Amino acid sequence: MPMGHTATAQAGSGGLTATEHRLANGLRVVLSEDHLTPVAAVCLWYDVGSRHEVKSRTGLAHLFEHLMFQGSAQVTGNGHFELVQGAGGSLNGTTSFERTNYFETMPAHQLELALWLEADRMGSLLAALDDESMENQRDVVKNERRQRYDNVPYGTAFERLTALVYPEGHPYHHTPIGSMADLDAATLEDARAFFSTYYAPNNAVLSVVGDIDPEQTLAWIEKYFGSIPSHEGKQPPRDGVLPDLVGEQLRQEIREEVPARALMAAYRLPHDGTRECDAADLALTVLGGGESSRLHNRLVRRDQTAVAAGFGLLRLAGAPSLGWLDVKTSGGVEVPAIEAAVDEELARFAAEGPTSEEMERAQAQLEREWLDRLGTVAGRADELCRFAVLFGDPQLALTAVRRLLDITPEEVQAVAAARLRPDNRAVLVYEPLSAEETEAAGDDGSAGQTAGAAPAAESAETDDTAETDENSEPAEREGADQ
Amino acid sequence: MSDAVVTMDLHPQPAAGQPKPWAFPAPDRGALGNGLTVLRCHRPGQQVVAVDISLGAPLDAEPEGLDGVATIMARALSEGTDKHSAEEFAAELERCGATLDAHADHPGVRIALEVPVSRLHKALGLLAEALRAPAFADHEVERLVRNRLDEIPHEKANPARRAAKELSKELFPAASRMSRPRQGTEETVAQIDAAAVRAFYEAHVRPATATAVIVGDLAGVDLDTVLADTLGAWTGDSAAPRPVPAITADDTGRVVIVDRPGAVQTQLLIGRIGPDRHDRQWPAQVLGTYCLGGTLTSRLDRVLREEKGYTYGVRAFTQVLRSAPDASGAAMLAISGSVDTPNTGPALRDLWQVLRTLAAEGLTDAERDAAVQNLVGVAPLKYETAASVAGTLADQVEQFLPDDFQARLYAGLAETGTVEATAAAVSAFPVDRLVTILVGDASQIEGPVRELGIGQVTVVAG
Repeated sequence: MPMGHTATAQAGSGGLTATEHRLANGLRVVLSEDHLTPVAAVCLWYDVGSRHEVKSRTGLAHLFEHLMFQGSAQVTGNGHFELVQGAGGSLNGTTSFERTNYFETMPAHQLELALWLEADRMGSLLAALDDESMENQRDVVKNERRQRYDNVPYGTAFERLTALVYPEGHPYHHTPIGSMADLDAATLEDARAFFSTYYAPNNAVLSVVGDIDPEQTLAWIEKYFGSIPSHEGKQPPRDGVLPDLVGEQLRQEIREEVPARALMAAYRLPHDGTRECDAADLALTVLGGGESSRLHNRLVRRDQTAVAAGFGLLRLAGAPSLGWLDVKTSGGVEVPAIEAAVDEELARFAAEGPTSEEMERAQAQLEREWLDRLGTVAGRADELCRFAVLFGDPQLALTAVRRLLDITPEEVQAVAAARLRPDNRAVLVYEPLSAEETEAAGDDGSAGQTAGAAPAAESAETDDTAETDENSEPAEREGADQ
Repeated sequence: MSDAVVTMDLHPQPAAGQPKPWAFPAPDRGALGNGLTVLRCHRPGQQVVAVDISLGAPLDAEPEGLDGVATIMARALSEGTDKHSAEEFAAELERCGATLDAHADHPGVRIALEVPVSRLHKALGLLAEALRAPAFADHEVERLVRNRLDEIPHEKANPARRAAKELSKELFPAASRMSRPRQGTEETVAQIDAAAVRAFYEAHVRPATATAVIVGDLAGVDLDTVLADTLGAWTGDSAAPRPVPAITADDTGRVVIVDRPGAVQTQLLIGRIGPDRHDRQWPAQVLGTYCLGGTLTSRLDRVLREEKGYTYGVRAFTQVLRSAPDASGAAMLAISGSVDTPNTGPALRDLWQVLRTLAAEGLTDAERDAAVQNLVGVAPLKYETAASVAGTLADQVEQFLPDDFQARLYAGLAETGTVEATAAAVSAFPVDRLVTILVGDASQIEGPVRELGIGQVTVVAG
């Protein structure tokens, strides 16, 4: 039986606890009991993401993630989806720069099925992987790319900003969705090699959270995963080290069929897992999170030059994190007016730091986001995996909110002064085509809501809820009725 | 299958354990002295409390030519009160770690507050202030109107929203509020001012026609006191029930292409209307619709995605438009998704073939069983958070359904057979009574779509 150390409740974690274990083959396991609802979440993080991809094979990690749902030795076709959904569970998988995760939330009495399914594909995917799945999922992923990026206004903004702020050759230079040309070029052999290289128990963390019997759960994990051989052939990702500052203001202007001018920018920020990153999170929240932020008050309320203005943070552990500014202009307002106002606000913030009221608000907002995140078994399972894979210690998930609340205004000011500077950003300006240009170039449309949600992860299945409201984004609404 | 690649011990698929009982939570229903209906529901462990307010201010109550006034009013509620300016109000709310969202839809205005339980009292006080004494200052309403006008081009550019707008216009008679965008058009929004917002508020917002649903870990909360201090201070007169206009739709089979030259995909939205949740057939319709297009392994995606690779996903679903106590309401029945431009014709041909096969051969017992197991089985997952429970309870209120509707629906689903589910799915999606909206490159897709013979095809500008 695997052994490991046991942690106890930490202050500020709401009484949540997690225990850690390791199988002989290297699979790390994190368990967390919570008997309030008869559900159990299974989450498996593989320590591989788009940063591990090589030139001319961008998008392979995500395409491969789709193939993980196409059957394994004992699971035929779409059996993975069919069995989980038929058991009253929900499931998906997503791929980001730094990891690939697979997750099932099950009624508690169906937990063993989810473990069996994850083990079957971890140990035997190649028994089922064939050309038919490869060709089919290649088409599906290309349609995913069209739907989420190519057929929506501003859809490629994140991809462009990433490419600017992480230079050519850097592992984060390209986003997980990859390019159409590389998706076309990927071969079945590439997929097989990818699996053999990265999909091994010693390159993964499994968490199980919810209404579970830990001893029984560990026994099942040992039974199903224990015989999967470990594998040491993993290629480390290329070095993601970059200077703290870009060193100059990079800039790209796009003339495209978009509904309004936009100013976007990406800033290089401290790595995830540091106090400085938490301080940056608070800085971006004060400046551009919610309806009482400095940029919202300045641009949307007072100047009325923007329809929406905000900042989002993409935390990254293996490269500088990315702060994403997104401002859509109002009416005929020109970008330089917006840019001057943004720079003025950032400079003022760097000089003065946050007020105590702003600190209180930003910390309250981020605290609620953490309570939301840890309020479901699936959210908790994902965070435990995240801290285990990226920082080697799942317990850090349970104290993350405490660390955010511990940051001082001085630290927030310091990171803003050091990082939120014009010479540390890539700027992307959108200029709509004129009417004549539109006719010549054609229209491909959609909307941009606000800043914040960087499309930094791709999923196996569409998670957009179907909707027939003319005005609302699917995610804003409850969706299909039952 | 080659044994060479399997180096692990294979075990047979495990059997399920003993299911643990779970039931959709039953709320306690009561009323405050001011007439406000209150549903409360204790959910242990849910530290973020969800408060969902339904106001009896439906879109069909908007004055002629002022479509969007309900939306502007909903947004203006949190833009200043008798005690706080707009900026102060937003700041105070965020100081509680709260989020507040308000939107107007056909049945009425909904306001959703989420806040850590430790700050519930303070946040509910702010919410009560917004409901009781909104400032509706001229300059704030003007700003909201301009902001809303700025949003419209973004919505038109979005293929899914553009399709939804066209479908509403096609399905419903021009005189029906449902034929027009929920949040108004450039022309109507531009007419809205503070006086119009206040008039709409005074006519349609009062505690007697509102309901508050409060869900979360309420163990340490003296909710009666909190409510008396906050929402209890809201006053207003009573109102006669509003007559609810009938819902009619023209579902003559036809196709409208919204032209987007150069689009790499076609957004498709295929719809008509059908019964709402008051109908006896509702559980069968839920089941049948799920089997048709509820998930990746349903009939549509099995062909369009997993066999042909035409799409990232196509879904069939129902969405209640508006209900009435006399069960005269309706729901939208729809199929939506995006397919790549060159395969638009083939994808629609396959989609219609799926519908024809369903009508000819029906669902299988295995499909029905899997659907029931999923729909019923996922309930404890789906309702893990306070917000999801509050949303469903508030929907029930808004749709004039009993508080135990969802709980009984699960029993109803389990009792629904394959034959009933088939009949409901076939009558929900008859091949000759579907209005198809395609947002895509007409020069590429018009010809192939005409060849399908799924109805008259017209092309409109994007």
